[in-house]
Amino acid sequence: MILAAVFYLFAFILLLSGFLVITARNPVHSVLFLILAFFNAAGLFVLLGAEFIAMILVIVYVGAVAVLFLFVVMMLDIDFAHLRKGAMQYVPLGLLVGVILLTELVISVSAWQFNSLSQQNLAVPEIGLNAATNTQALGAVLYTQYVYAFQLAGLILLVAMIGAIVLTHRVRPGVRKQSIESQNARRPEEAMEILKVQSGAGIS
Amino acid sequence: MFNETILIEYLPILIFIVLALGISGAAVIGSLLVAKQKPDPDKNAAYECGFDAFSDTRGKFDVRFYLVTLLFIIFDLEIAFLFPWAISLKDIGMFGFWSMMAFLGVLTVGFIYEWKKGALDWE
Amino acid sequence: MSIDREIEMFLAFAWMLGHIIVLIVGVLLGVAYLTYAERKVLGAMQRRQGPMTVGPWGLLQPIADGVKLFSKETIIPSQANKIVFLLAPVILFALALVAWAVIPVDKDWVLANINVGILYLFAISSLGVYGIIMAGWASNSRYAFLGGLRSASQMVSYEVSMGLIIVCVILCTGSLNLQEIVLAPRPIWMQIWLFPMFIVFLISILAECNRAPFDLPEGESEITGGFMVEYSAMTFALFFLGEYANMILMSAMATTLFLGGWLPPFGMWFLDFVPGIVWFGLKTCAILFFFLWARATLPRFRYDQLMRLGWKIFLPLTLLWVVGTAGLLLAFDALP
Repeated sequence: MILAAVFYLFAFILLLSGFLVITARNPVHSVLFLILAFFNAAGLFVLLGAEFIAMILVIVYVGAVAVLFLFVVMMLDIDFAHLRKGAMQYVPLGLLVGVILLTELVISVSAWQFNSLSQQNLAVPEIGLNAATNTQALGAVLYTQYVYAFQLAGLILLVAMIGAIVLTHRVRPGVRKQSIESQNARRPEEAMEILKVQSGAGIS
Repeated sequence: MFNETILIEYLPILIFIVLALGISGAAVIGSLLVAKQKPDPDKNAAYECGFDAFSDTRGKFDVRFYLVTLLFIIFDLEIAFLFPWAISLKDIGMFGFWSMMAFLGVLTVGFIYEWKKGALDWE
Repeated sequence: MSIDREIEMFLAFAWMLGHIIVLIVGVLLGVAYLTYAERKVLGAMQRRQGPMTVGPWGLLQPIADGVKLFSKETIIPSQANKIVFLLAPVILFALALVAWAVIPVDKDWVLANINVGILYLFAISSLGVYGIIMAGWASNSRYAFLGGLRSASQMVSYEVSMGLIIVCVILCTGSLNLQEIVLAPRPIWMQIWLFPMFIVFLISILAECNRAPFDLPEGESEITGGFMVEYSAMTFALFFLGEYANMILMSAMATTLFLGGWLPPFGMWFLDFVPGIVWFGLKTCAILFFFLWARATLPRFRYDQLMRLGWKIFLPLTLLWVVGTAGLLLAFDALP
């Protein structure tokens, strides 16, 4: 009873905030609603018993990806109302693309043949995994059975890292950086000189 | 459909979240109601050194802040991959260990690249 | 459903609510007296007395401060985005409270003993940035904006090394459940091996809480208080309370991960008669004292130095330590 109520609560807020993401006038509000949507999705994962996925969703999407979104959206000084003015002329084209995509999706889903193994897996979601928690169950297969997918994920992350640097890193000329090594290598003997100064004579 | 034994542990968290938001929200609203509010255009102006702000605050800023967040996302994902690995290392043994080492090795290449490019330097 | 079962459920629910309220009140009192302790410790280190006027030895000072802030006028800048402006402190403070749901304070005393407790803590602490970015943006003031930006980058940078240190610990304990992490056997060599990580963790939580010597986001001398500059009255109080609640939370996290939580120190079984919560409290206070001590003694870092420490020293070091820990445990067949 309570569980069903909680499920409907999460699902309702998820759909509502998803809707508000695209309708909110202020882009920052959009991102904040997106975060709310992520939270409710995490709640739904918990209801399914997928604790690990729920926490990773919060850590990665809310804790990292949405921070970047927020950074980008907050700091961009774009007049969105102005941008929207011209948007209406693209509606027919947008509708056309949407309809084509939708028909394609419907066709491919209705013609889809599920592999017999995956149907088996669907019926018994925890097939062959008698681990104590679902994190362990995940760990037991991710790094061995699915090693290629795992390594591919690593390569994708590498590409993302290099891409981020290539796109955003600019070397600014004429900036003096701190060189820790040369600072540490400096010895008192070469940096200063101790003189005996006669009182009243000064140094030349 | 629902796994009740796990969920019973999460119910207190849900209630806790609601209560905590309620308490801190009530504190702000209570203070707004109780304290005397006397707004004034000068009092409500953004804080500057004695004169009005020249322009809207939200403008361009150093792209480096984006870069830090981008790199953070990548390392955060790497850590997300490390968690299940750390608790199931006993079961997956040597192969699992070297599989993760290869993964980390690939990312270390990226890390060395960004280090050499100076993406981690601030001035 | 029979009447008996209904009563049972009601009692369980009431017990849970009571538990939550005890936790919240405990944290609030802890925060109030942490501010007092901070002023006293700083005073003692500078050969002053600290607050002495309100109540005996100034013991009622935090309560007086609270009442004062509550009854002040909340100034909302006319340029600000009002909803986000008011929401930011609420979220920041609520997050600092919510994390306490999974922390084991005694043997059988943990509100939600979930399987992924440490991930929950990590998730909650990674959300702390939001309060700050939202505050910095909503205030629509230059100082707040810069402070928010700096603070967010700083917290994000140190979270990477915190995550990797947590991975080191769970390699040694073999569980994500905090109660099991506390109870996992820790031979002496493991404690020695994890000790450098404990130090790095302490420094990282200083940065994560924006405390001295990493308190650049506040930077009174350059950005006049950072993201908090436009806040007043209760909204300011919530930021303040949130900062201190986060300090207590991070100390509790360090206690749970490295110092054996509520267990008596150094495996002294003959001290078992002392309730676990006393040990937990003492250990947490010891780490909190370190926070205050660092504030009283260390000068502030420069921003480039801060980033360099996070990305170029802590990140490679902790990553290396993860690999080393896993390799050692595998080689000696000591995996839990």
